[in-house]
Amino acid sequence: MKSLLGLYLDPNDAANAMDGLKEGGFEQGTFDVLTGTPYPEGAFGEHVPQHRLFRFPAFGAIIGFSLSLFLTTATQLAYPLITGGKPILSIFAMLIIMYEMTMLSAVIFSVIGIIFESRLPNISPGVYDSRITEGYIGVVISVEDSEFNKAKKILEKSGSEEIKEA
Amino acid sequence: MSTNEEHHYWPPSDPKVVKEELISSTSKGGKTLKKAIWALSLLSILGIVGLLGKLFLESDDQTQWGYIAAILAFILSTTSGAPMVAVAPLIAKANWARPISRIAHIIGVVGIINIVIMIPLLWVLPPLIVDGARRRSIWFEAPNYSPHFWDTLGLVMLALVGLALLYSSALPDFATIRDNSKGTKQKIAKLLARGFVGSTVQWSTLRMRIGVMSTFYFFTLIFVHFLISVDLSMSMVPGWRDAIYPMAHAMGGIQGGIASVIILAWIVRKYCGYENYITLNQFWALGRLMFAASLMWIYFFYSAFIVFWYGKSMSDTAWLDLLIRGPMMYMFILGMLFSFIFPWWWLIWNKVRNSVNGPFYGAILAILGVLFERLRLYVPAWSVDPKLIHDKWLTVIPKTIFPDIWDILVFVGAISSVFLIIIIVSRIVPFIGIWEIHQFNLLAKPVKYIKAHGVRVAKPD
Amino acid sequence: MQQRNNENRLSQEYTNSVLLNGTLQTPKWWPYLVSILGFFVVVGFVLFGVQIKYGLGVTGLNRPVYWGLYITTFVFWVGISHAGIMISAILRLTQAEWRRPVTRAAEILTIFSLATALVFPLIHAGRTWRIIYWLMPYDVSRGIWPNIRSPLFMDPIAISTYLTGSTLFLFVALLPDLAVLRDRTTGFRKGFYTILALGWRGNPRQWKMQVVGGILLSALMLPIFVSVHSIVSWDFAVTTAVEGWHSTIFAPYFVIGAVHSGVSAVVTMMALMRWGWGWNDFIRPEHFDALARLLTVVATAWLGFTFLELLFAVYGLDAPEIALREMQIFQYPWNMLFLLFLLTGYILPVPMWIFKRIRTNIALMFWSSILVNIGMWLERFLIIVPGLARRTPFVFTWDAYSPSWFEWYVLFWSFCWVTLLMLIFSRIFPLVPLFEQKESEVFSDDIKIGRATVPTIFREEEE
Repeated sequence: MKSLLGLYLDPNDAANAMDGLKEGGFEQGTFDVLTGTPYPEGAFGEHVPQHRLFRFPAFGAIIGFSLSLFLTTATQLAYPLITGGKPILSIFAMLIIMYEMTMLSAVIFSVIGIIFESRLPNISPGVYDSRITEGYIGVVISVEDSEFNKAKKILEKSGSEEIKEA
Repeated sequence: MSTNEEHHYWPPSDPKVVKEELISSTSKGGKTLKKAIWALSLLSILGIVGLLGKLFLESDDQTQWGYIAAILAFILSTTSGAPMVAVAPLIAKANWARPISRIAHIIGVVGIINIVIMIPLLWVLPPLIVDGARRRSIWFEAPNYSPHFWDTLGLVMLALVGLALLYSSALPDFATIRDNSKGTKQKIAKLLARGFVGSTVQWSTLRMRIGVMSTFYFFTLIFVHFLISVDLSMSMVPGWRDAIYPMAHAMGGIQGGIASVIILAWIVRKYCGYENYITLNQFWALGRLMFAASLMWIYFFYSAFIVFWYGKSMSDTAWLDLLIRGPMMYMFILGMLFSFIFPWWWLIWNKVRNSVNGPFYGAILAILGVLFERLRLYVPAWSVDPKLIHDKWLTVIPKTIFPDIWDILVFVGAISSVFLIIIIVSRIVPFIGIWEIHQFNLLAKPVKYIKAHGVRVAKPD
Repeated sequence: MQQRNNENRLSQEYTNSVLLNGTLQTPKWWPYLVSILGFFVVVGFVLFGVQIKYGLGVTGLNRPVYWGLYITTFVFWVGISHAGIMISAILRLTQAEWRRPVTRAAEILTIFSLATALVFPLIHAGRTWRIIYWLMPYDVSRGIWPNIRSPLFMDPIAISTYLTGSTLFLFVALLPDLAVLRDRTTGFRKGFYTILALGWRGNPRQWKMQVVGGILLSALMLPIFVSVHSIVSWDFAVTTAVEGWHSTIFAPYFVIGAVHSGVSAVVTMMALMRWGWGWNDFIRPEHFDALARLLTVVATAWLGFTFLELLFAVYGLDAPEIALREMQIFQYPWNMLFLLFLLTGYILPVPMWIFKRIRTNIALMFWSSILVNIGMWLERFLIIVPGLARRTPFVFTWDAYSPSWFEWYVLFWSFCWVTLLMLIFSRIFPLVPLFEQKESEVFSDDIKIGRATVPTIFREEEE
């Protein structure tokens, strides 16, 4: 397997390259577009990624809620001391701690979810060019050796500034 | 519940088609609407009968008037907050609110009903000084009948400003109707349009007028919520000192206002065939606002509750006994469920907010929540024995008072009057602003960015 | 340099080079300012040691005013921290374009001011190590768990939650910029940024997670932000022992005051960023205009809450409460402080902000924002101290509280500390989010409607 990266200045050229690869019979999951700034979703005709991000905060909230309920209930019952005339199980005070811990847990799991759904950390990021963060748009494709030249031709034909191989 | 097609609904680009479709709402309805008007008028008259019956038969017993005060607060809370749904997005230059801002303004006009209900309450509301002693109120050393005068003035001002706001926002549409109709309708439109022809000066004056009226309406609304909440409930209970209460009451009013806009928008969309104008975008945005409003409700409630629960002083405990675990315990549970728990758990789901029916059902829940809350706050406040008003704190918790036939008639009459006024106004004012849709089309256009579909929204200063 | 069709557009290369001028190179003034601030900060740490050795007698705290400058400053810094989420989360959710240059600076102001706020109860306690025993959830040898019913315990839970959430939010939003830094540095720094960037490449999936994740985190952080200062306010509101504290309005009052002071602090910071790093293309007068309009609304709401708090304090016709308010408003020296608080908190700045010429004048916005924060610090002082000064019914215990020079220095130290942390941050990470600036260049455009040139935004179609 080899990787190719085509660098483009004009977003329309990058979109044409993506179209060309699609028409060339390459599978959707083998090519992608790299940009230094978010573009509108689908601007390059790329496959819109599906995600399950919202499960993470929901799961985190359940964990946080359960943990905080256990913590607040158990600690109050462990040493049942009356403070300020409040009942041993002071639900309204517990609610505040439980709320904070539920939210904290939801946030932590959301961040884990964002990093996971972004497929990070990416230890071997593959072929890349630092000019992508300078405004160039990269179209990257992983191909078998037999299809290498075909893919390279498509990228060149679309008006690439440079093509890198790995 | 949502489909991609729903998002593709867009107002017609031809101004002529927009004009004809939107003007048609002023004459739609036919025989069904006529029957509805008759029925609503009859029920409204029954409401007046209820008020008069209560006034002649129970004016000497203050404790029986809690439901009337609660109805006034309920109508105030569900209708007067509606124009804020148009005002706030206007300040934020949000395009999505344009199709529903007229609906919000129309609902705001219903404040006239509050003045009618206030009249008998004026008789029964105790003066500041009773038996030589001045009770606690926000009027301190003011003349004896201060609450009566200022509260009525506030309600009158709110109704007038609401009317002025509606008139300002509908002015260009009156001109459009004047130019595209005949007979009596044209005469009325001509009178109301006052020579509006759409010159640059007229448009900039109009925008300034709407801006000023909107700001004035907002301040008047907060002021009226402050007056009504304190004078008609807090002041009636000895020892009830709750600084957050006026703001919580106003917040409930905003929640009710958003809910009523959602409900009327849904009805107008369905029965006037305005799917191209009131689209999923409007309900999605309103659903988020509704969700935020229910969170604000619990925040304000909890802020008050936790202070009283921790404080445990005699007046703190009396507040809890009167309004939480006393005569209105079940009403409190219902209020909590319908103002917060149900709308929150319903609207938290993306699929629900991102639909037309989802926010509608959420709004119905919220409106019921506002009703239960107003009953919970006003009925026990009025049922406190007037002889106890000068005590340091409430020592005798009154028993639960149930509504009588007059209360039920007033309630039915008030709700009917709301719908009656809206229908009557809609015969003259289109439900959706024609000029606002023209502006919507001017400022927002579906476009493509390379291959991505979206909307290009202009943000002029 | 990559150019676009519209000459007014800023290319990504230009954006990178200008906004990274403080991170990749050292501004001339930076070492001097950091040295001076560092000196003051070190002196502050030495003084903490002095306080631990000699006890709280070095302060002016005494019967009956046990909570003074330290607690006032604690509440003040918690208040400043509310700017981050206000600007970052609320303006992101409402898709306000003008938030873009401000978000990162507001977020780090939040983080550093929260961290500073957390330090103050430790300083205030005197025997700092006892706080750790009191807070940590373990019961070994003490035979007791922390008291969750106490708002003083809820405080650090809430503040830690907010701090953790804000830090994680900041890190997630930093990822694309860490990739830029990775691509523009060499050697040890490149290795450092490479590890932090987690292999970011900028494919659609990663950008989508930035957008969706940003909205999700904003929606989660907003309720936390409201709860934090509410819980801090309940330190005061739940007790009936001190006049002027037991009021239900404290929670929203403190929150709106926090937004007022926090957003004003962001204005201060933005002006300093523009002047310090020369980011005139990115921090423009229209940003100050938008912030000033927001501040006008927030300040007016805050004034309304202040009025309600004062009104309902005397509403109950309670003699001690009325006496306290009379002292606060009419008696020297409280009356001068009260007047100064009103003048600086609302009366001077807000009428100025009505005029667009002033809103777009960066110097005037800078000074008016500082006035606001003086006023907001005084507000906290006037809430906390007068009530304590009159706490007991025994007149012989009434005493004026005079903060010692020690406490004033600690207040000064806190400003130096936060500024120092932000300057150090600026040398490692960019203060203005690069990708947000670049995103605005992609999504925004100018069109002609008739002869008028109107700015537009491209909004993606929802799924």
